[in-house]
Amino acid sequence: MTEATDLAEDAGSKDPRVGLRAVRALRTLLEKLEAIQVTNARNQDWSWQEIAEALGVSKQAVHQKHAGGRRLRKGR
Amino acid sequence: MFERFTSSAREVVKTALREAGELRHQYVGTEHLLLGVLGQSSGAAATVLAEADLSPDFVRAEVVRRVGCGTDQLGEQEADALSVIGIDLDAVRAKVEGSFGEGVLDQPHGGRPGGRLPFTPRAKKALELALREGKQLGHHQLGSEHVLLGLIREADGIAGQILASKARLRDLRERLLAELDKAA
Repeated sequence: MTEATDLAEDAGSKDPRVGLRAVRALRTLLEKLEAIQVTNARNQDWSWQEIAEALGVSKQAVHQKHAGGRRLRKGR
Repeated sequence: MFERFTSSAREVVKTALREAGELRHQYVGTEHLLLGVLGQSSGAAATVLAEADLSPDFVRAEVVRRVGCGTDQLGEQEADALSVIGIDLDAVRAKVEGSFGEGVLDQPHGGRPGGRLPFTPRAKKALELALREGKQLGHHQLGSEHVLLGLIREADGIAGQILASKARLRDLRERLLAELDKAA
């Protein structure tokens, strides 16, 4: 198996590389999920304010990060 | 700023955006502008860069070596890493794709879906310097060669560093000015 799989099997490892790699992958997953969910909320006509409240961040932050996204427009 | 750009300069910026996207970088830096200039197959900038052995492939490899590429991919390595902390990526994928469609986790630019990538301060500075160079030369329109002059002036940027690894910046600048002279 791959080296990464071997590392994964050694879940008790205190090797920083293993833990940091997991954090990095988790952050990637988080960013993707956030983008998907924000797009979905916008498609369902949620305001930036509502999305910001649900995410627990400021409206400016969520707008800056996600505005300009590909909102599915009907009839296009 | 872009209104004085010729089609070749606009093409440079467009290519820069595309290169940044393909490298999965979240910004457009001087390095992407350089790749944008290299996307032009003819012109003074292309000639000078080719002479100095600065090919698109070389520069792209240097960019990856110096700044890496983005990590918005969830592949086998990420799946392995997540399993260490008890997250089954395949299970997450199945749930998310079930609601939002197949491949939804594999779209690029996770954090900025379709959003325009911002220019770094150095990239902006390089474009300003390009405008200034054009003005000093008495050129009213800005082409890819001016962008390259701007990148040379912004010597501390990644592009400047990569250029300097193959040639002296002063020589590159003089060659470029000579080519422009010839063309004029």
